Amino acid sequence: MSDKGQNFYQEFEVFSKRSDGAPMQHQFSLLAPNHELAMVMAQENFMRREPVADIWVVKRSDLRVMTPEERESVKRLDNKDYRNAKGYGYLKKKWRQYEQEMLDENEIMSWGEMVKKK
Amino acid sequence: MNNLSGQMTEEERMAHFMKKIEDDEKIEADDWMPDEYRNALIKLISMHGISEIMGALPEKEWVPKAPSLRRKLGIMAKVQDEMGHGQLLLRVAEDLMKPYGKTREHIMRDLFSGDLKFHNVFHMEAPTWGDAGLIGWLVDGAAIISQTNMLKASYGPYARALKRICAEEVFHAQHGEAIIMALAEGTDEQKALVQDAVDRWWEALLMFFGPADAKTTGTSKQDITIKYKIRTKTNEQLRQDFFTKYVPRILSLGLTLPDETMYYDEERELWIYKQPDWNRFKEIIRNNGPKSKERLRLRELSYDNNAWVREALSPSGRVS
Amino acid sequence: MSVKRPDDIPNNEYKEALLNLLYQLADDDFILAYRGSEWLGLAPHIEEDVAFSSINQDTMGHAAMYYQLLEDLGEGNQDSLAHARPSNERRNAILLEEVNGPGDYLTEPRYDWAFAVVRHYFYSVAKKVRVDSLKTSSYEPLAQLAVKINTELYYHLLHWKTWFLQLVNAGGEASIRMREAMDRVMDEFQGVLTLGPSGKEMAVMGLIEGEENLIKRWELALQPVYQSVNLAFPPKISMKKGDGRNGKHTADLDGALSTLSEVYNSDPAATW
Repeated sequence: MSDKGQNFYQEFEVFSKRSDGAPMQHQFSLLAPNHELAMVMAQENFMRREPVADIWVVKRSDLRVMTPEERESVKRLDNKDYRNAKGYGYLKKKWRQYEQEMLDENEIMSWGEMVKKK
Repeated sequence: MNNLSGQMTEEERMAHFMKKIEDDEKIEADDWMPDEYRNALIKLISMHGISEIMGALPEKEWVPKAPSLRRKLGIMAKVQDEMGHGQLLLRVAEDLMKPYGKTREHIMRDLFSGDLKFHNVFHMEAPTWGDAGLIGWLVDGAAIISQTNMLKASYGPYARALKRICAEEVFHAQHGEAIIMALAEGTDEQKALVQDAVDRWWEALLMFFGPADAKTTGTSKQDITIKYKIRTKTNEQLRQDFFTKYVPRILSLGLTLPDETMYYDEERELWIYKQPDWNRFKEIIRNNGPKSKERLRLRELSYDNNAWVREALSPSGRVS
Repeated sequence: MSVKRPDDIPNNEYKEALLNLLYQLADDDFILAYRGSEWLGLAPHIEEDVAFSSINQDTMGHAAMYYQLLEDLGEGNQDSLAHARPSNERRNAILLEEVNGPGDYLTEPRYDWAFAVVRHYFYSVAKKVRVDSLKTSSYEPLAQLAVKINTELYYHLLHWKTWFLQLVNAGGEASIRMREAMDRVMDEFQGVLTLGPSGKEMAVMGLIEGEENLIKRWELALQPVYQSVNLAFPPKISMKKGDGRNGKHTADLDGALSTLSEVYNSDPAATW
């Protein structure tokens, strides 16, 4: 077996986003001899039927990924409602006593648009 | 389990692994897995992947010949997808083979040496444009039945690849239906193309799902794949599903099946049909089918003929 | 001058020149996409097979749109234009009809990837120059189509330029093969750049710029690439096998036509 061409098969991970405002998303991996060829093959291999605004290719060996053991370290208890709006739901009732609406997530996230309308 | 797996005994690892399978958690490429699981996956997925690559060849025969601009474009896109599916699946298989130091080069060499088999249907002849339509309609139909059965496979990378593949298979089936529909509604000669293709492919379609049990051909991987939740249904269940979905459609177009004995047994809720020749099946997948040698030659020639390109662009130094 | 639709065509001379141009554009894209489609499943790398096929689909899609313009001008439907015309009616450049290499796409194909890369890259550059010029064509349907087609050319150029530079720079056997492929392509490339016998009329009527301008801009586009890899510039081009714009073709085209129209010809009146 000839193995002169073996190094041709370098592993690249492909990421893309659908639109300018969308986040980067992992798509899949491909084999290519270098970044440039990985780039020109990426879109047609994984995004033939969807809009694409941008593509990243990353050599797999440049990624520091978690080992299966380290993946155990991302688990945590569900006792942290003080970090979330969920932990402050009682304020709704409180504000009502002062005849005020609660400024909840929906309300606050809508303010950006309110400014635009003006 | 609070031990890091590095400190686990073999039994604990196995128990941890089986618990994940039972809890419907996904196994990832670098997770610990028993050899039996890894080897069953390698066998299944490299065979699936290389079948997509070999499956491009019978239809490829009709790409330059497709009878209109739209059909030329459609079949080009369809065969392109087959190559693309091969790419997705081979990447999954290659990651599984990594601990054994094997790469795509080995997969190709195994194919050429006959160690790696490909699906029986892709050893068959496709002599007319009717076959091009039938492959899209019924061979892809059969593939959809067997692939959707594994969409929830316990091996995460395979399940994710299948999700992409099945989404595109919907286009394939419709592409095939469009060709068949035009022929079935066309001239007498065109209608004959479809009927001939059905007659020619029927036995291969039955074989596609594999034997009902190991007794038929001596081997069957279905027990292991079910145990590890790679698939849920047996070969026979899948074949029955295929009949249920497709037999009424075939008949509705005025076509006949080359099996007069076939009927649906309402009581047992079972299609009764004439068994294909399973000895012939064994011969076909041993690369003794009507087109096996020719297609392998085509694949090998294109691989060797282009070796200079891969050699020219191989970065020197370490393999990452 | 601006011609908004077929009915507004001012005279026969304009129509003749327009038809000639459209046949060249359509036939060039069609036959090269056909040659590309024969590569399907045979490329040097699976990932590249997929990418290459998209370019062939784009290119055949462009041909279909040009044939549609011809259909709108009363030349017959696009499928018969693509499938039923004999070789002496075809206006594509001879370079684009040439086989991919020894053998047939079904038996013993020994296709030449260096030839594929060079032919497609230089053609893409020429096509880009042409399409840029067509954006201001006096025939508005063509100008609008050029704007659309232009969208997809960026990828074609990026793709082929990447392959071209990498293989030319690879040294050893690859560089030799690429040099040979370039010689072969240059021997016929004038056939791609020429506008044929009615080129002057096309320019006078504002359908497309004159041939000399197009050639100059094609050279300018290639100059930095040539210089970056130390190749003698400008390349010397000719058309040794003849001018396809005159309907002169080789046996390669006859072979292609008999394959691509095999099913179509079994019943041209049928719906497929």
